[in-house]
Amino acid sequence: MRTMTSAVERLAAAVLAALLAALSPARAEIGVTDDLGRRVVLARPAQRIVSLAPHATELLFAAGAGDKVVAAVDYSDYPPPARRLPRIGSFASIDLERLLALRPDLVVAWQSGNGAGTIERLERLGLTVYVTESHRLEQIAADIERLGELAGTGPAAARAAEAFRAKLAALAARYGGQRPVRVFYQVWNQPLTTVNGEQIISQVLSLCGGRNVFAELPALAPTVDVEAVLAADPEAIIASGMDLSRPEWLDDWRRWPQLQAVRRGNLLFVPPDLLQRHSPRILDGAESVCRQLERVRAKDAP
Amino acid sequence: MPVLSHRRSHRFAVFAALTALALFSLLLALGAGSVPVAPAELWAALRGEAAGVGGPVVLELRLPRALSAFVTGGLLALAGCLTQVLLRNPLADPYILGISGGAATAALLGIAAGLGGAWLSGCAFAGALLSMFLVFGLARGRGGWTSTGLLLTGVVVAAGWGALISLLLAIGPEQSLRGMLFWLMGDLGQARGWGFGAALLLAGLAAALALARSLNLLARGEVQASVLGVAVTPLRLALFFLASLLTAAAVTIAGSVGFVGLVVPHLLRLIVGGDHRLLLPAAALGGGSFLVLADTLARTVIAPQQLPVGVLSALIGVPLFLFLLRRHGSGA
Repeated sequence: MRTMTSAVERLAAAVLAALLAALSPARAEIGVTDDLGRRVVLARPAQRIVSLAPHATELLFAAGAGDKVVAAVDYSDYPPPARRLPRIGSFASIDLERLLALRPDLVVAWQSGNGAGTIERLERLGLTVYVTESHRLEQIAADIERLGELAGTGPAAARAAEAFRAKLAALAARYGGQRPVRVFYQVWNQPLTTVNGEQIISQVLSLCGGRNVFAELPALAPTVDVEAVLAADPEAIIASGMDLSRPEWLDDWRRWPQLQAVRRGNLLFVPPDLLQRHSPRILDGAESVCRQLERVRAKDAP
Repeated sequence: MPVLSHRRSHRFAVFAALTALALFSLLLALGAGSVPVAPAELWAALRGEAAGVGGPVVLELRLPRALSAFVTGGLLALAGCLTQVLLRNPLADPYILGISGGAATAALLGIAAGLGGAWLSGCAFAGALLSMFLVFGLARGRGGWTSTGLLLTGVVVAAGWGALISLLLAIGPEQSLRGMLFWLMGDLGQARGWGFGAALLLAGLAAALALARSLNLLARGEVQASVLGVAVTPLRLALFFLASLLTAAAVTIAGSVGFVGLVVPHLLRLIVGGDHRLLLPAAALGGGSFLVLADTLARTVIAPQQLPVGVLSALIGVPLFLFLLRRHGSGA
């Protein structure tokens, strides 16, 4: 009886040990959930990362994983070391062969830029894909943290995410309660394009105490006409244009002195890379928006 | 065809109706939009006496846009009539000979290079003229000026432009893509230069009317026309250059608005008959009114969001045309 019990015990112990042995690599696995709610699992921290969008490259560098990025797409120009990365096409059309030849262990994609089709294709090719798709500022901090976990640079990423959240909170505390300023954000002039309330830029405006005059439109990036802007009569027009220079077409609005924005000299410019990329630098753009809207309010006082 | 004695009054009725339609469409275009403008205010605005934002909205936004739409529609419909006689093909539209393709390629290059405004119009016009001379030169090289030779040359040149347009869309900078697509679909949001287009429309209409009798004969067949004393080859050359110039002016104003040049001539042929002395001015009036109505819808139907006019012109035109075709039998 006694020996039998001990035999059973030994067997149980052996089974347990075997189970533990089978489970232990699983414990070392890294798993996070990406912006689409998909589970992304790596056996060990990523060492060869390919970024498929300019903002994804910025997120990876912010997460402390910059030295593990082996390739990126066109316009990955920030931070400066990113400019030297090999290119594998643009975010809209990726050279899949070059991507596979690099043997990446993690690909960081962008749903609305790369397209669901491309992402599905990458997965069928056996690649591990983390998809970014941020519609809110808070998601940028979460993306940094998760990419840090995947790259094994958790502590650095946590610090960066914390800094981002702190800056976001500081901006909200300082500007969020100010007098609302009605703003028209102009993405482009031909055709005249703006953003609706779902867009992250609209959240930046609210963060600074601005109100997007076209927040209610159903399309994410609606085309409107000059007349609609006249009817909305914004107090400020913010445009981004193509690069670091203020777009000439912003001054086309001077034809319309009926607009409050023109009458009060509130034709404002923020560089597109600081607002249109879902990267940590968006808070630099937000800071610029907040300061400029503050000056708009200061004109209230006679 | 109405009986001879009724012809004059029938003619009068058609033109009265088309003129009324043109005036109605223009008034509607001036009255509708995001900024509410009451009829009384509209009248004041047109006399330059309106207070507030209504005046400039009507005079500086809606009026130039409505006139651009009218001129573009008129140019395209007139060019469509001429092209259909020139090629003796009911499927011919003003774009079939590659004029709009050349204009589009040049305009897209301009957009990719960040050009806008008058520069862009200049690009489009230059591209249209380049394509016109290209087709002219190549078609003549094929030995004689046959309809088939001209049609094939034009279609192939247009296909070449089409490939270049696809290439530009594929490799063009991301920010300019939407601008390029709007240009290709035809958009009056950035329309300019309607004065030039209006002058060309009037001159073109006068020239086409001078040829109207010969056009009637040519429409019955080449042999018949030449037996009846029409110098067919010079007439064809004249038609080719006239239709091309009108089309070039139209695409310069509003991009390649589709459908108007193909369907408005057919529509009016169903209504007024095949006599070009009547058809040509009717097409100019009808095409103009049609595009003004389409553009007014394009900017108001989901306002403040804007649609390119080309989308609306096809959406209205297709059912309208099918309806008329069924009612009149297949005698287009």
